[in-house]
Amino acid sequence: MITSTYFGVVGFDCSHTRRSSGTHVMRLHLGGEFSCYLYASFPFPSPAGIPPIADHTRVELTVVYNACVCSIARSQFSEAELLLTQATERLLQMKGDGSVASDPSEFWRTALKSLGNTALNACVMNLLCLQWAIWLATCQLKTIQGFQDELFSVFEALGVWGAESSVPRSESSDVLLLVMDQRRLIELLKICTFIAQGAERLSEGQSSEALPGLQTASSLPAPRTLIAYTHLLSGSCLAHMSRPQMALQCYRMALETDPRCVCALYRSMLIYRQLGNTQAEIQALRLLHSTLMLPSTTESALAATHLLPPSLLLRSQSLSSLLLVPSALSVLHSLALKCVLHERVSEGVEHYLDLLATLHSEDQHGVHAEGSPLPKLPELYLQAGAALLMARRAADCMALCDEVITTALELLPEKVVLEEQPEEKCEAETRALCAEGGDRVGMLLWVGAAYLLQGHCHTHLRDWKQAVTHYTRCFNLLVKVHFKKRGCQPQIPSTDMVGMQGTDLCILQRLKGLSLAGRGISLTQTDQLREALRDLQLSMQAFPECTGAGLWCGEVLWRLGRRREAVACWEKTWNFTPQSSVQSLSVYLQEPQSGPLLDSTELRRRIQDVGSTVSV
Amino acid sequence: MEGRCAVETWAEFGFSGSSCTPRLKFGFGTDVFLCTGHDQVYVFSSQERKLTAVIECPGPVTDLVESHDKKFLYVACRSGVYCVGSQFLSSSAQSSPADASSSPAELKMSTEFLAVAEEGVLSLLLVGSVLLTLSQRDTSWILTQYRSSNFEMLRSFSRPLVSAVVHSDTGGTTGMRRRPLLICVHSSAVAAPPSPPSTSSLEATVSVGHLCLEPVLFKLLFGIDAALTKSPVILCGLPDGCLCFLPLRPPATRLKVLHSLEQPVVFVGASRVMEAGPGHAQCLVAVGEQGRVVLIKSDKGGSEGGGNRAVLIEGCVQGPVMCGCVDTKRLYYSTGSDLLVLDLSEVSSERDGNEGDVETSSMAAAALQSPTSLNVCRVVALAEPTCNTAGEVQLLGLSVRGQLQRIILPVGREDARLPKGGGRSVRDLLSAIGDVCERASVLKTAIKSQNQILRHLNQVLNISFLLMAGTNTKEHLPSQEKPIRCRATASWSRLLQRDSLNLTCVLDNSSPYVLERGWTLSIAVFPLSCPPGAGTDSSSTNFSFPFHNLLPGETFEVSLPLAAAGETSFPVTVSCSLVFSLTGLLGEEAENLPGPRSSCVSLPLSTLTVDWLHALQVCAPIGTHRKATSQSYNATDAIQACLRSRRISSGRGETEREQHSASVRVSSELLSDTLMLKGSDLDAQGRSKSAPQNVGLSLLEWLLSDAPGGVTAGRQGDQIALGGSVVRAHDPNGHAVKLTAKEVNVMEESTGKEEPLSTVEVQVESSSMAAVCGLHHALLRRIQTMLQTAPERAASTKRIQSLELRRALQRAERLLQQIRQSRISGAFGVGVSTGQMTQSLLAVYQELRENPLLII
Repeated sequence: MITSTYFGVVGFDCSHTRRSSGTHVMRLHLGGEFSCYLYASFPFPSPAGIPPIADHTRVELTVVYNACVCSIARSQFSEAELLLTQATERLLQMKGDGSVASDPSEFWRTALKSLGNTALNACVMNLLCLQWAIWLATCQLKTIQGFQDELFSVFEALGVWGAESSVPRSESSDVLLLVMDQRRLIELLKICTFIAQGAERLSEGQSSEALPGLQTASSLPAPRTLIAYTHLLSGSCLAHMSRPQMALQCYRMALETDPRCVCALYRSMLIYRQLGNTQAEIQALRLLHSTLMLPSTTESALAATHLLPPSLLLRSQSLSSLLLVPSALSVLHSLALKCVLHERVSEGVEHYLDLLATLHSEDQHGVHAEGSPLPKLPELYLQAGAALLMARRAADCMALCDEVITTALELLPEKVVLEEQPEEKCEAETRALCAEGGDRVGMLLWVGAAYLLQGHCHTHLRDWKQAVTHYTRCFNLLVKVHFKKRGCQPQIPSTDMVGMQGTDLCILQRLKGLSLAGRGISLTQTDQLREALRDLQLSMQAFPECTGAGLWCGEVLWRLGRRREAVACWEKTWNFTPQSSVQSLSVYLQEPQSGPLLDSTELRRRIQDVGSTVSV
Repeated sequence: MEGRCAVETWAEFGFSGSSCTPRLKFGFGTDVFLCTGHDQVYVFSSQERKLTAVIECPGPVTDLVESHDKKFLYVACRSGVYCVGSQFLSSSAQSSPADASSSPAELKMSTEFLAVAEEGVLSLLLVGSVLLTLSQRDTSWILTQYRSSNFEMLRSFSRPLVSAVVHSDTGGTTGMRRRPLLICVHSSAVAAPPSPPSTSSLEATVSVGHLCLEPVLFKLLFGIDAALTKSPVILCGLPDGCLCFLPLRPPATRLKVLHSLEQPVVFVGASRVMEAGPGHAQCLVAVGEQGRVVLIKSDKGGSEGGGNRAVLIEGCVQGPVMCGCVDTKRLYYSTGSDLLVLDLSEVSSERDGNEGDVETSSMAAAALQSPTSLNVCRVVALAEPTCNTAGEVQLLGLSVRGQLQRIILPVGREDARLPKGGGRSVRDLLSAIGDVCERASVLKTAIKSQNQILRHLNQVLNISFLLMAGTNTKEHLPSQEKPIRCRATASWSRLLQRDSLNLTCVLDNSSPYVLERGWTLSIAVFPLSCPPGAGTDSSSTNFSFPFHNLLPGETFEVSLPLAAAGETSFPVTVSCSLVFSLTGLLGEEAENLPGPRSSCVSLPLSTLTVDWLHALQVCAPIGTHRKATSQSYNATDAIQACLRSRRISSGRGETEREQHSASVRVSSELLSDTLMLKGSDLDAQGRSKSAPQNVGLSLLEWLLSDAPGGVTAGRQGDQIALGGSVVRAHDPNGHAVKLTAKEVNVMEESTGKEEPLSTVEVQVESSSMAAVCGLHHALLRRIQTMLQTAPERAASTKRIQSLELRRALQRAERLLQQIRQSRISGAFGVGVSTGQMTQSLLAVYQELRENPLLII
């Protein structure tokens, strides 16, 4: 704890100064605990004047040091820097070195050189440390780079000086107390420099160059958090150098050093994802989520114990982007989605329900809005609904869909014109545009999907009539969307217009296909075969990859006695290679697994039968 | 009453302009919270119509909000947000209901109530368990969320300040620093759910400062996410003109702008514009300081695409707008000079009738141009309007001068307004005239009472001048000639076996002015010198007698006890003064009078002296009728005397006591001159004729009965009973006193050629030294005053007894020498004991008394 004895009010006569008005009054607020005034007026005799008393100068420089530490703690870097250079300049003038270099590193070099081995050297070195801290905090890594050797030698020298003077200092009566122990400051500066440089190089893509520095840094004496950072950054370097296993090792060390280093957890999760190790990824996500939900006390605890917290010195953009961790909510969402997509439906459903509950609860503890944003809520609802349906909880799914429908229905437009997007416009941009401009198409697609899911639910419950109603509602909604090509009239879109995956148009077509297929299948169950055939064929037009529609279309043809066509249909469907990008689509846009199924062996037997009869 | 607007002032909280917008809020049921921009929060009960509590905060209060369960009150002031339980505010009222009319509960906010130590919080809002604060840091607005249970900071958002507008505002017309508005908007689909159990909980959350919007509009404005999570949305109306919003759920990253008014946002509210619909507000209203009004509502089936859209109707009213509020259909706003009503349904319906957008805005603007005046001026803050059972709309307003006013709008206004056109305007005019009439009559009565007060003050001033003139310029004017004077009669009375000397003061108003209500006769009684036993405390006693109306020529008589027998030392000075209290006349305003003076005016009337002569109890000569009538009196008297003599004799013995005496000689010529003069104009009882025969007797009579200095000795029947030239009496301490007046002829010894001068010698004899001294002093004083009134006589001046004077001087010198001697010996303490010294001093004194000088 800093006490006010550190800062006696130090005043000096400056009767023979050239700049007699050089009195600095600084008011320092330190965490609201105390504030004090520093009156520091520096005597610097004219070249022909009275020789300076070294002790006085030492006191002055100590005061400057303390004042600067406090300024830096309050993030007033320019003030601190001004104070530092002014003090050193005066010292140089006192020594008779009139020439002052404008370049900061040159300036400090001359300062160190001119003072040589005098007693004041240590004081100046202290000030240099602060200058270093300012450079670090203001991300002037280039300057540090150019001056690094001198700086490290300063560290050496100071270490020696500190060890030497520690014994007599405690005995002498005029103790010059420092607000921050210079040894600890040096340690902090050293490791922070390594970390900042490593992060900078990593973000510039020079991972292999960054690695050695970081590895030396990891053995330095420093707070756990910072050591963990060095491991983390080393891991990132290794990951960048495509050595995922070694990277994982580093991340593990980071976590072992500092259990609260969530970033390491997040990075390992990313590596598992990259490696395709889904189980490990899910495990990491789960850990990450529970760690994020812990009350965050690390920052405040650190800030309370140190006058200069490491976060003050590590302010570079590259490092903070490396340390960025998504919010607990979005972690939970990825966890839920991963579970659902990888055959852990019941677990995924639980996570989805947790997520929805968190979103609804008033008390959103540990929820930070930074990082990757969550998908829009209707999207989440539909995903959760789809998961529920997969878990055979159709009633819950319907309730969720109902919510989406009732909320969005009022806002639906009568007619929407979807304009053709220029090719170069990327998907994200389109999304952003949608979000800004009312999100009308999105809204319509959500409601459509909700109806579709409800249809699936009724199919699952074998309530064919209701299923048909809901599929119809979905389809009726979807035909409101008109597509407009540049230079053409708006029209109902057709399959050949579908360009990229994931666009609104693609979703629209998929929804259309699925809803028609669903209706067709339901109609088949109620023996309305003609209508069923029409729907299934239309579905195949809209969305050719739909296997369910293809198979059921064959089935209907079979039942209608059009066996050849049926066989052709089945064979065509089986021959159709599904596009690899199905995974990128939302869960609710995938074909339902819960509807009535056709036995493929039975179908193959039928094909063989037909084949044999034909051959016969 | 149709068309008139009744304004009723409930209370006054005098405050002059403050730096921040005053705030008026309903809370704790029917209470009203007031913060005027100073350090206090006033809690006013609208039911009891009185101030129930005052909260003293350590800095200017900017905002306050009550918790949903009405158990806590959060107050934002400069140093942070304080949280205080409602029991602190109502404790005093509950504990003593009988005492409820007394002063309000006072609560001083100390650090123990500090909840959030954030500095410079300008606005507060409580949503569920989240406390939101809005403050301004350098160039940005900071919206911070705290958990209301433990005041842990949850999140913080900042938004850069649009500085240009703020600068123009600070140099603007009002000079007042606008407070940003924080409003919570709920979707009414959430606020009015179908199931009854959830209603109660939600109704609890929807309270003051919370708006409820129709779901469609809510979704259109704030997005589907907020609607899905049933999240309340925070709406900020900033002084830089921005209308921002922030949904609480799902967690948003930043404040989004809804609209920019480009002038400080004064008011944001929600109103039900169309009659259709189940009572949800369908329209969001925002009003800017310079009069910009923005209505945001949903519009079904617009031009292309169909579906619901949010439409903005912008218009301007005559600014500046100080404050506003909105009820179901109308917007009330105050320009400072008038309170106006704008019918929002009119504004929006005119929009419905037309399709073109350009036309729309102009029509809306036209509708905005014709607000209805309510003729209430100087309103700076408005609370939300309430509707009473009779259907009257009540507004609660705070005026510039700190008056809390209830404004009741007429019931018939809506019906009256239905026929549009000329009829309506005539009705409006009539109602306006009615309003003006009412206000005029109120003003008239105020003027009347002010006139009354002025007249009263004029009288007071006249009287003051009259009395001041008497004291300042004509010092010599005897009190008898003052237009307003006080005389007194001292008389002995016997009550509960105790004799006491009562003084009856009579205030005589012979001035042409009426002494009206508010005047008080104040009498201060203090002895000239304290008796040795009484110690050092100056025993001054004050009496004040308020009187109602004293017409010219009337008198006002009061009686007060002067002293009990054997207690007080004489002479006693009685100073009478007239005191006028301004508080009685002006009420509380008197406290605010400029200057350090107190609100009382005190005018000295006269100073009277009650001396030994007044206090003498003259013994009736034996043989008169008095003895028979007051036998018992005399008997007890005798017992008293006996007791007294026993007491004294136990000490020293009565027999040893010598008789002390002192005498004064006055020339009988002087006496006859003055006494006859006085007798002729004073005494109309026929004794004036017999008086010249015996100058001594008349001198005694004058001494015992006359009123030098305005005090008469009132002795029932005593003055008639002076048997001869010897008067026996008792002094207040019960010692017998003998006054003798005899005529002595003094020869001029030096020359002997002149005829002897006839004089009257008044001798005082008593066993009590004190009585002799006191009476001698009184005698001399009386004769002194007599000499002042005596007519000048040239002849008498010649008769200076030169020899006698010389001898007297020599005697005086010798006595002085003696006194010095005794003092020196006393100082050195050699040879003489204290007893001896006392004896010698007494001897000197007696010699001094025995002055043979003659007063001519």
